[in-house]
Amino acid sequence: MKFPKLYKSTQIFKIALVIAIVVIGYIASVFYSKMKSLDASVELIATSNQTQLELEKLLSIISNYETNLRSYIITKDDVYLKDRFLSRGEIALNIKRLKVLTSDNPIVNRDLDSLQRMFDYRFKLFRETLTIAKSNNFDRNELNEALLKSTNFTNQMRTFVYKRINTESQKLKKLNDNHQFELEDSIVSAFLLVLLSLLILLLSFNKMRVDINELKKTNDELKFLNHSFNNAEKIAGFGHWKYNLDTQKYTFSDNFYRLLGIEPQSFDSNLENVMDFVHPDDAEYVLQTHKQSLIDHQSTNIMLRYVLKTGEIRYIMSVGSFTRNSLGNLVKVGVNYDITEQFQKTLELEDSNKHLKAINSELESFNNIVSHDLQEPMRKIQMFISRLKEKEADVLSDQGKDYFSKINLAANRMQTLMIDLVNYTRTIKGDKIFVKTSLEKILDQVQADLSQNIEEKKAKITVKNLPVIQAIPFQMEQLFINLISNSLKYSRENVIPKISITGEKINDSDQYDDISISDKKCYKIVVSDNGIGFKQEYAERIFMLFQRLETDSKYTGTGLGLAICKKIIENHNGYIKAKSAPGEGTKFFIYLPKNT
Amino acid sequence: MITHKDPIQIFLADDDEDDRNFFSEAITELKMENRVTTFKDGKDLMDYLEKPDSRLPHILFLDLNMPCKTGFDCLKEIRTNSRFKDISIAIYSTSSSEKDIEETFVGGANIYIKKPNDFSKLKKVIKDVVNINWQFHSSGLNKETFFFSI
Repeated sequence: MKFPKLYKSTQIFKIALVIAIVVIGYIASVFYSKMKSLDASVELIATSNQTQLELEKLLSIISNYETNLRSYIITKDDVYLKDRFLSRGEIALNIKRLKVLTSDNPIVNRDLDSLQRMFDYRFKLFRETLTIAKSNNFDRNELNEALLKSTNFTNQMRTFVYKRINTESQKLKKLNDNHQFELEDSIVSAFLLVLLSLLILLLSFNKMRVDINELKKTNDELKFLNHSFNNAEKIAGFGHWKYNLDTQKYTFSDNFYRLLGIEPQSFDSNLENVMDFVHPDDAEYVLQTHKQSLIDHQSTNIMLRYVLKTGEIRYIMSVGSFTRNSLGNLVKVGVNYDITEQFQKTLELEDSNKHLKAINSELESFNNIVSHDLQEPMRKIQMFISRLKEKEADVLSDQGKDYFSKINLAANRMQTLMIDLVNYTRTIKGDKIFVKTSLEKILDQVQADLSQNIEEKKAKITVKNLPVIQAIPFQMEQLFINLISNSLKYSRENVIPKISITGEKINDSDQYDDISISDKKCYKIVVSDNGIGFKQEYAERIFMLFQRLETDSKYTGTGLGLAICKKIIENHNGYIKAKSAPGEGTKFFIYLPKNT
Repeated sequence: MITHKDPIQIFLADDDEDDRNFFSEAITELKMENRVTTFKDGKDLMDYLEKPDSRLPHILFLDLNMPCKTGFDCLKEIRTNSRFKDISIAIYSTSSSEKDIEETFVGGANIYIKKPNDFSKLKKVIKDVVNINWQFHSSGLNKETFFFSI
């Protein structure tokens, strides 16, 4: 909806208001002029009525006069002549009033002039008739003639006056029509005015209501936010502060005080009061860093200690940065948080780390002992054995020779064990640096290393489709040395060992401990032999440290070789599993991730 | 410069008496007995070498773990003295740690031999090392050929 959006825009509303005021102003002025003209037309109607009235009055005076004269002629009583002159003056006044009423109309004025003359003439006729009537011996014929003349003239006058009245009444009718029309016009204007005002009033009221609601909502939200913020500060253990560089005033949040171990707002918010709590050893650095930042406006990141009133020491991290407030003042806003617990934990961690390192270096020296100091006498024992065998074997009895060969075997076994132990520890510790490694090349090296052993057993080794991976090269070498040695060691008697190392595509069904492995993510390498094999139930045991399946003395082993393999594969985030059956050879499946 | 006309002179510096004996016995069995001199430690060796009129060996077998002056110290001193530039140095140690091999290779040793645990192998090593064409070996020196596999 577009309307509510428009409705919300104060700018649009302002424009609408201005337009409405202009329209109201226009309608009001139209209304005013209408009223004015209405007023004028009322006046015109009044004048016209007055004129009509005055004219009728004139006629009635003349009739009255005439009646009185007739009455006199019949009765000869002077009473009837009493008002004669009075009426005359009244007529003059009447004419005068009419002249004033019709002063703006020259035609009527002219008519009035002729009326005046007609009155004068009529009165002359009256006088003549009266004179005839007053003479004691009047000629009845003469009087009749005079009366007839008078009556005729009166009729003539009446006709004139009625004509005038007629004109006036016509004019009045026209004025009345006009007046009616203007009145209707004004009512429409007034109605429109009221309607429009009402509309604007309603719109303004609604707008106001919406604005107030919005304001209230924002206010509520702000209140809530403020409340939550205060709560959050309390829970998270941080307090914030502000310094206005223009007004040079500090503001501290409630929790800022709590961090100092005191009630909120319990002292004036200024720097000196806070510095009382800063550890004396930190004070100079804190002040210097803070003051410098007020000059160069760079963010600060200070670690300091508070000494609380209880004497307790708290570790505080104080970070501050600069911003401008709504008034455009530069303000440094900062957050202080208590890191005592973390700091102590870090110290503890550092401690235990040191301890671990010490243990580690002890283990390392143990490793050195195994790899060097123990091997040294071992090698010498073997050396002496070889000397004895060469030079003194003849002087030994048969049983002596048997014991001697057992000593030799035991010494050899011990040496292998030590070498394996060293190799195993090497896979646990040490730098795990992954480099691009060609497994084909690794296998070339492995075959060279084992060449003597391979030749002895006349083994056939095939290598196919091996990938180039990210790996620790010496560990990869160790892995294949161990696996191939294993296959050579557990080969079947009188069967030429066949060992293949092949890179294969991963099927959808491939799984390792319920983890499905996809071709996208992993390489699969299969090492298979035609050796003695083992029961599938032992498939996991073979990878455990010092676990050996064959106890027959012809299979020499330390129980470390496959444990080392497993460790190496784990180092490479891969998986290794075995599949075998007695007499059917063994398959080792290796999965190595494509992107390590 | 070693030529075939010169009877080859061999030095061994090793603090282990048994090892010195094995070495001497092997040399004897190889019929080169009048060409070997042994030193009981690094200091003994360097004291001898630094005498201005000392006879320098063609090949020096150098043990690494020795008291007073280790094989590493000797290697460093020999390789910083131009008078000894013609001495071929064979490291002769029980250790076969990557670290030791790397360090001695960088330090300028010519070959690294892990002490064998069989007397016949010892004889073979000595025979092979003496018969190496040193000039050829040194010019084609790399880390793969540095470690002498028996």
